[in-house]
Amino acid sequence: MQPIDKVVFGDNQFFGINHMSQEKAQQLAEKFHNIKNIYRVYDYAFEAGINGIMLNSNDRASVICDYFRENSAKFQDVTWYPSIPYPHKYANLVAEKGIFPTINEILFKGNSAGGILSMMAKGGSAILTKDAIKMMQMLIDLEMKIFRGLDVKVVFLQNIVTDLMLGYNTRVVFEEYCNYIKEKYNALPGLLTMNLPYCINKLQEWGIEEVVICSSINKIGYLMSPSNQAYEEVIANNDTSKYQIMAMSTLASGAIPVKEAMAYVTNQNIQSVVFGSSTKGHIHETAALLK
Amino acid sequence: MQNIKVGIVGFGRMGITHYSILNSYPGVAINSVADTNGTMLSIMSKYIDGLETYKDYKALIDKSKPDALLVCTPPHLHYDILKYALKNNIHVFVEKPYTVNPKEAQELSKAFEAKGLVNQVGYVNRFNDVFVAAKEHLEAGLIGEPIRFKSEMYSCTVVKTDKGSGWRANRKTGGGVVYEMAAHALDLVNFYFGKPDAVAGTIMQKIYSKKVNDLVSSTLLYKNGLVGTLNVNWSDESYRKPTNKLEIFGTEGKILADQHSFKLYLKEENQERGYRKGWNTVYITDIFKQVPFYVRGNEFTRQLYHFADCIKDKQLKNGCSFADGAATQDIIEFLYEDNSKNLKKI
Repeated sequence: MQPIDKVVFGDNQFFGINHMSQEKAQQLAEKFHNIKNIYRVYDYAFEAGINGIMLNSNDRASVICDYFRENSAKFQDVTWYPSIPYPHKYANLVAEKGIFPTINEILFKGNSAGGILSMMAKGGSAILTKDAIKMMQMLIDLEMKIFRGLDVKVVFLQNIVTDLMLGYNTRVVFEEYCNYIKEKYNALPGLLTMNLPYCINKLQEWGIEEVVICSSINKIGYLMSPSNQAYEEVIANNDTSKYQIMAMSTLASGAIPVKEAMAYVTNQNIQSVVFGSSTKGHIHETAALLK
Repeated sequence: MQNIKVGIVGFGRMGITHYSILNSYPGVAINSVADTNGTMLSIMSKYIDGLETYKDYKALIDKSKPDALLVCTPPHLHYDILKYALKNNIHVFVEKPYTVNPKEAQELSKAFEAKGLVNQVGYVNRFNDVFVAAKEHLEAGLIGEPIRFKSEMYSCTVVKTDKGSGWRANRKTGGGVVYEMAAHALDLVNFYFGKPDAVAGTIMQKIYSKKVNDLVSSTLLYKNGLVGTLNVNWSDESYRKPTNKLEIFGTEGKILADQHSFKLYLKEENQERGYRKGWNTVYITDIFKQVPFYVRGNEFTRQLYHFADCIKDKQLKNGCSFADGAATQDIIEFLYEDNSKNLKKI
């Protein structure tokens, strides 16, 4: 399995997401309303020696991807770690219309003519045979459109989807996802999860290998199910030729001081850390601690 | 002990989520699902070995004979399904709002209790780490006697003109901001202070919906002098996620809580708990408790695990029973009555 970047720069700070405080989230949303402020923060990350970017496929991400494509000469070393889908796009629609009308609307409305044709070709049969796997592949393609032409290393499935599907205990969905990402996107499949021990055990049981698993890993156990002890054991015994582990939420939304937070992850068998920040000093400090 | 056999009736957004969470509980076997959507059922039976699927809840109950049922259908269908479950001695977790009729809510509550069946309503905030901790602080007397409170809820659920189809577009079927959102804000009021004795000044407004309301506000009154206000708006684009806010003003300070943190203002320092005089903030990261399996928030896992725990251990008292759900249903009825009186004034 191709090794992933040791440090990856995350995106929650740009999109008004903060698990600890809605007030903080609001302040950040205001700060990054002007997209140039986002590009400036990316420059800080590159100066600190970070090349990997994790980006969720939301509306603003598409503008960010355009910018990187337009300036590809300047950003030729940058590698991408998209996470899909953007869950909120679906959540309200599903509540309003139900699951299948939502999928229909998302797949068949608002796409360019060319896109529709190829999607119809696949989707026609998807609906006829009620084949959820084809439907999933179409949704992946739709979400991945904004990353076209960028150097994608890992495609992560958002934790809301991963964890939901883990609960269903269905091997085929994970197998098909991983194969599709490898074959179609020539990238490593990734899973975001809040249940890392459960996730790795299941993948082993199902014989699904060469997967990157990204999970909250922090000293206080925030968003880590079932427990720190279970995480530490699984991570210590992990065969990194089969699964690479990326830590997220290392600061637990700011509840843990940076040095302490980084020490907790760097002392373990963890291959990569994704973190987000909006200030130059903080980015440089964190990157230095992870080197 | 044998596995608890669980059936799910109604396989929309909540049914889908609950399946995943409860399926992770050791000792629970979900073996049947009922929904009117044939596509959903055929996908489920294709990918999940041994799952029985039904188009009709009665067939599910008759043939699959579950020990417990999760009912996640549109609210106006709850009553008939719950009656049939009761007849067959089945424990029930029902999504909120529990019914669309307060009399039926009371009737079912008494009947389930009389038979010793576990009964729970899906008011998930009762299992949120922050709301549980803030309530404990109130009850421990940190802000003295409560005098006034505000219970608010905001979301970006309906932010464009709604064509008005389906159960969500009709009050009779349990649609509209009062049943779907205000129910959460009112349940928090019940959870913290008990059921209000009267309501006044209720006004419901439409913004985007054609047949149901998008906004509701009211004043909640208690015989002991406590007064609260309710303000709920599900058409507020500035909220990325549904957000509950609870503010309590007491004789010794105040509490401001939402799902992520609470602020505590104290007139005097509290050495025992390490709070200073003035403002203190407690974040979810300070007080959360890990859950065995996470899907969409600790509270969602905790509420369903609690349901299963109550089935296993009959001595446990359910933290959000039908009686609790019925109390919310009563206030909702008060609100509608008060609103129609108030509308006649202008």
